[in-house]
Amino acid sequence: MDTLPKAIMNALEQHGVASDSVLCWLLCDRALENGFRDTYVLLTREELLILSHDQAPAREKTYSGYAANAPLKGLSSKEEANWELEALKVRDIDSLSIVNLVASGMVVIKTPEERAVAAFTNGGMRSAASLAKIFEKLKKSEELSPEELQHDQERAACPKCGMIYPEEGRQVCPKCMKKHAVFGRLLSFAGKYKVSMFWIVLFMLLNSAAGLVIPYFQGTLLFDQALGGKGTFAGQIGLVIGLIIAFRTLSLLFGVIFGVINAKMAANIAFDLKSSVFHAMQRLSLSFFEKKQTGQLMTRINNDATELQYFFVDGISYFVVNAMNIIGIVTVLLIMDWKLTLLCLLPLPFVFLLVRKVFPKLWRLSIRRHKRVSAMNAIISDTIRGTRVVKAFGKEQMENARFQRASGAFSDAEQSFNKMGVTLFPVLNILTQIGGILIWAFGGWKVMQGDFTFGKVMTFMNYMLMLYGPIQFMNNIMNWWSYCMSAAQRIFEIHDAVPDVVEKPNAMQLTEVRGEIRISNVTFGYEPNKAILKGVSLHARPGQMIGVVGHSGAGKSTLVNLIPRLYDVNEGEIRIDGIAIKDVSMASLRTHIGIVSQDVYVMSGSIAENIAYADPDCTLADLVHAAKVAGAHDFIEKLPDGYDTIVGTGGHNLSGGEKQRLSIARAILHNPKILILDEATASLDTKTELQIQEALDTLIKGRTTIAIAHRLSTLRNADYLVVLEHGKIVEEGTHEQLLAKEGAYYDLVKKHDEALKMNEVITA
Amino acid sequence: MTLKDVSVSEILRPEDDGSSPGLAEAAQIRYLSPDNTVFTLTEGHMLNVKTGDKEHAGVYVHCSFPHTNKRIYLSIRTVENEEIGMIRSLDEFPEETQRMLEEQVELRYFAPEISKVLSVKEEFGYSYWDAETTSGRCRFTVRGGGASVKLMTASRLLIVDVDGNRFIIPHLDRLSDKEYKMVEVCM
Repeated sequence: MDTLPKAIMNALEQHGVASDSVLCWLLCDRALENGFRDTYVLLTREELLILSHDQAPAREKTYSGYAANAPLKGLSSKEEANWELEALKVRDIDSLSIVNLVASGMVVIKTPEERAVAAFTNGGMRSAASLAKIFEKLKKSEELSPEELQHDQERAACPKCGMIYPEEGRQVCPKCMKKHAVFGRLLSFAGKYKVSMFWIVLFMLLNSAAGLVIPYFQGTLLFDQALGGKGTFAGQIGLVIGLIIAFRTLSLLFGVIFGVINAKMAANIAFDLKSSVFHAMQRLSLSFFEKKQTGQLMTRINNDATELQYFFVDGISYFVVNAMNIIGIVTVLLIMDWKLTLLCLLPLPFVFLLVRKVFPKLWRLSIRRHKRVSAMNAIISDTIRGTRVVKAFGKEQMENARFQRASGAFSDAEQSFNKMGVTLFPVLNILTQIGGILIWAFGGWKVMQGDFTFGKVMTFMNYMLMLYGPIQFMNNIMNWWSYCMSAAQRIFEIHDAVPDVVEKPNAMQLTEVRGEIRISNVTFGYEPNKAILKGVSLHARPGQMIGVVGHSGAGKSTLVNLIPRLYDVNEGEIRIDGIAIKDVSMASLRTHIGIVSQDVYVMSGSIAENIAYADPDCTLADLVHAAKVAGAHDFIEKLPDGYDTIVGTGGHNLSGGEKQRLSIARAILHNPKILILDEATASLDTKTELQIQEALDTLIKGRTTIAIAHRLSTLRNADYLVVLEHGKIVEEGTHEQLLAKEGAYYDLVKKHDEALKMNEVITA
Repeated sequence: MTLKDVSVSEILRPEDDGSSPGLAEAAQIRYLSPDNTVFTLTEGHMLNVKTGDKEHAGVYVHCSFPHTNKRIYLSIRTVENEEIGMIRSLDEFPEETQRMLEEQVELRYFAPEISKVLSVKEEFGYSYWDAETTSGRCRFTVRGGGASVKLMTASRLLIVDVDGNRFIIPHLDRLSDKEYKMVEVCM
């Protein structure tokens, strides 16, 4: 448990409460009226303590995660507050519950009249849930486990630098993700390609070195010496032209060599990046993929990998070469004539200034334009895909108006972007050209004075032109750099994400299984204080079929997802053959469990590959037999390509029933001891359901089966039924027992029968 | 299909309370009015409601349109989310009750309204906000990517921080250019 703030410890002492008797506490940072005011709710074994003060609400609040390393300030004047203590005996309180408000929570106690004690913003939800849980245990005089008491109110911190993560459950440390750290990590990625990189940079340098002498040949040698008839190359035009051609060819040759090496390395790096990200993704738990923000991450992976490929391929090598080019050219120019050089570099600071000032604006305008065009495209795609709806309700005019608005907004954004663009770029052009004009003016004057030769001016001019490319590159490099680093950060985020469900270091291998499942007192929720399952216990003997019924949202699917450990339980445990599933290696656990669920996913590939997904080395005989048992054989034989039919994205379209049969065949071939049927027939029509049901009946023989079904007829063979309601088991027993009870199950059956009758009337 | 850019007035006409008779019967919504309902606030800050001869302790006020109009179509619900009844408009009730219910709405929909954006710094997938709000100065962290900063109506912006805390910019068009530019990058 976190240590209490000093002021609170003092306040407790003043009121004669030993601070070490506090089992857990919650900082409620919201006043019940508007604003922020701190109230501490503390729990000891005998008492619930409420520490509050009557100061005006705080005028400042720093939410958790902000700037991450800034100290969290709940209340600015905490020291001076005069804390008042209210102590309520635990035995006088009937219950303590946490009410979920929008983006905050409220502690409500019953004494027996209900009373709102204090409210807190969303960050306190986890602590609040644990306070309510510990209170409940105290109330029931249950033993408190050390883990419950040790519940850390602090967020997890970065193991490298100790900084608290800005977001719970997403362990990414922005500090360690700083650009240079990311850059260092990226470079280490490229370590494998050190040799290739070396060759690339070398050939690029040779390429530009060869290019660098050409302006000198074209200017001074050609005009002043060969044509001017002075110096070593006087009159030797042929030789000078020959040299120019030779160096051009050399430069070209080096360019080709570096291009070839580069192309090879680019493909290799892209491959490495993508496969490493894919690999990293595969080891993560299901919940990672279900979090919304990661959904976005996934779609970006491909783009990000490509982005990074550019980083390695174009970025690093071009950076080195361009930097060398700039240094080289400027040195040559300075040696030739430093005054002229400085003169023509004069406009450069203005160029930089302009780019610094105006480019961010242009960038913002381009973002706005991009957003508006996406909004417009969304409307277009809405109207086209939803054309049936638009026409059915006769809303063409409204859609026109909607499009007009979006299109108008886009047009505005486009205009302001273009206006800015068409002003900025010519100005930039002029500025850069001023350098050239200065050379002509100053150089021309010098030529007339006789200080300069015409060739020298030409050389100067050509070098100047060569300089602008690299300078432009350096100008854009900041944008490009941050772009790359963000891409790298997203990729590393997936690399660094820690799976929620972790295997124990020396996990057991589950070899032979009888199929006994014991779920004891399991509580589970995807979010704190929103338990989906509350104290659920269930026992399935080997070979038994247990039916789980209940309304939608009762927690049925959640319950069965816990058995293959797709999620970890919050409390309680699940044992298979007496062994806690937490102690077992995940792979061996899942070989013994087969799941047939409502939405079947068909992988891209042949039907045979799909059936053999869990056991690719199976014999063809087994494959065909499994399909036969699943009732899939007949429709497969009817297909022109039989078992070789390609299904999935872009392949043959299977109907819902056919897909379901494939998934059953998959499960049959997998041959697990434990079978989970999660609404396996819910999406099918009655006739298909009956056929599938037969296949399922064969499948469940000799296996422990837990079946969830909406249609109660599916569960007619169940040995035992449990009825889930709001995450709790409200009834259990055999079909007959439950009917005799006339309780929740009886109601469900009655409603089901009515629905069936209705169906008959409609279909008749 | 998103209707975000259809102005709310096109889909919602609060002044027009005459609903189609058949629909009202089918919906079977129980409307609460001052004639049949009494709201009281307990000492423990809980809202009680007595409607007809039935009394409910500890009820909560849910807004049907929390972003467009918090004063109409309020749903009075128990903590188990069962609806006791709906209020068409707060204006129907005496002032004291109005205030009481408004406080309950504030309690449930607590979201500081941003009056001045001081700074928005974007770094590595998060943006760090510093703003003057109706509840004082707030500093908070928002996940990047645009999903956490949403335009709820043409000019009302909802910002959700990493813990799910909510902040509102009620009139985006009243921000200064400088503020708007900082906010726009996150939208």
